[in-house]
Amino acid sequence: MSAPRFIQIHSLHAYTAVLLNRDDSGLAKRLPYGGVMRTRVSSQCLKRHWRIEESDPHALAKLDGFVDSFRSRELVTKKVLRPLDGRFPAEVVKALEAEIQKAVYGDKGADRKNRQTLLLGAPEIDWLAAEAVRLAEAAAGDPAEAKAVVTEWAKSVKDNLKVLREQTALPGGLAAALFGRMVTSDPAANLDAPIHVAHAFTVHGEETESDYFTAVDDLWEPGQDHGADTIQETELTSGLFYGYVVVDLPLLIKNCGDDAALAGRVVEHLVHLVAEVSPGAKLGSTAPYGRAGLMLIEAGDRQPRSLAGAFRTALSGSDLDQAITALDDELGRMDRAYETGEARCHLSLGVALAAGGEQGSLRTIASWAGERVVDAAPEAAA
Amino acid sequence: MTPAGHDWLVLRLEAPMVAFGGVAIDQVGVTRDFPAASMLTGLIGNALGWHRTDTARHQNLQDRLIFAARRDAEPVPARLTDMQNAQLGKTDRGWTTWGQPEGRDGASYAAPHRRQRDYLADLCVTVVLRLADRPEDRGPGADSLHIEEIEAAFHRPARPLFIGRKPCLPVGPIAQGRVKAATAHAALGCVPAVYTSGDCRALWPVGDGPSDRPDADRVVALADLRNWLTGLHGGTRMVVEGRVTAQMAPAAVQQGGAP
Repeated sequence: MSAPRFIQIHSLHAYTAVLLNRDDSGLAKRLPYGGVMRTRVSSQCLKRHWRIEESDPHALAKLDGFVDSFRSRELVTKKVLRPLDGRFPAEVVKALEAEIQKAVYGDKGADRKNRQTLLLGAPEIDWLAAEAVRLAEAAAGDPAEAKAVVTEWAKSVKDNLKVLREQTALPGGLAAALFGRMVTSDPAANLDAPIHVAHAFTVHGEETESDYFTAVDDLWEPGQDHGADTIQETELTSGLFYGYVVVDLPLLIKNCGDDAALAGRVVEHLVHLVAEVSPGAKLGSTAPYGRAGLMLIEAGDRQPRSLAGAFRTALSGSDLDQAITALDDELGRMDRAYETGEARCHLSLGVALAAGGEQGSLRTIASWAGERVVDAAPEAAA
Repeated sequence: MTPAGHDWLVLRLEAPMVAFGGVAIDQVGVTRDFPAASMLTGLIGNALGWHRTDTARHQNLQDRLIFAARRDAEPVPARLTDMQNAQLGKTDRGWTTWGQPEGRDGASYAAPHRRQRDYLADLCVTVVLRLADRPEDRGPGADSLHIEEIEAAFHRPARPLFIGRKPCLPVGPIAQGRVKAATAHAALGCVPAVYTSGDCRALWPVGDGPSDRPDADRVVALADLRNWLTGLHGGTRMVVEGRVTAQMAPAAVQQGGAP
């Protein structure tokens, strides 16, 4: 198989008596599919919980140290300045170098040890590299002129680089590398998200209950007036949810400053987050915590496709084995018809997924996924 | 090529949730019943690995694109409104390639920004498309994009493909082989339908199929073109909304006959 370009993550999660994701009426989000109404958790809700998670051992914020120990402080040197060597006189490049480092990393940035850890992605590198070439050309071979133009430039883009530092500093920079950044109207400065997340939905028809509840005053004593307690209703739902995520590996690697090892760690953490982090609301009253009953990971270079079609005909209930069997049938049909040859592994709390490759623990399938990322970019991993 | 035998690439756009963005004027992201020319241009560009900044290539592709679309299912309810809350801040800023950071205008950031996005639920739409063969696209240095390259890109796309919005991920391969037909309308009739047979609602360019009853219902000026240089939508083209008769696919084709 050629180098994988995509990691696809399929999951089945069971939740009981919860309200994971509401619309503006306060009711659970829904999806009509195959003629049957399902309960739904939106893509943006799932992504937000994976992004802001802090307590899970595999939270993205916990990759800080890993990033720090890697190549991020050398990115400007390697990707912006070294490409000037040979194209322009060495003295000109030297005159530009210290000033550009200081402009990007701050006043003490000329020294590698004092540089802040910034995760510069392709938009940042492309812009800085183009600016460096423009400045080197403006110097017309004269080191003194180079010094003058770069100082003038640093002054003019000071505010811009301050914001660039805020945006690329960790851990926000790492979250942006995975979840994207669309703040400005400048398409060349925005960061596209390499992660695509489908809305999760129940593999069976909605199972919903209007939960009537009252809140009463436990400290009431005879003789007091009865006061006004509260009577309310909320919706609670139960279900087995199918979730689907695709990661665009070349883009993730680019957003990680061409660091395939870092991108591999991000994917490894993401697999853990998908399996373990609840998209839940009403934490105190419904304890919406649960781990995936099934995780299927695929690595390949053919067009990614979800296996949602396995559940277009709604299952009769939330039985995990029945859902795994339906998923297996769909995967088998896809393989027979299209022979797309993805490499796979999976985790199952129920029956094994025959078409799903080797079975493993969450740790082993997550690390397998991370290793596929390094396969995706052998030249960048070196 | 003679008009009797254009080669049409067949696409199947199928997913639990799909969005065919229409003209949006406020916080409500509407969806139309059929894909826009600009959306298909973006979808193809995405498969080919183009960037948002490759404006000339996108424009040229949109200018050459000839397509028709057919709804292979009419689920009820047809639309789904998703409510999103986004926390925006007055102080949100981003760096730009023009050297100055860009912030947000306006004042009302006390509450989350609330927006609605409409989706088509449980949708399956068949598209047939080809590229106009224009004299200016021939010769050295000209845009030489062919339908074969587009088909190959759909099989091994540069990026994950989505149908209208990023969470709208397809349930199967989008490229479904090719058919030969004189017009876009005739090409649609050659593609078996997965979920239905008989009359399906369809849309095709004026002149690329019938413009009169019984097949045509109405002719409209459709605003589905993007000016890729400015990033804004503008202009209209004449299309026919009507119906096309489709045969039900045999079981083998339903499971995806094309490689």
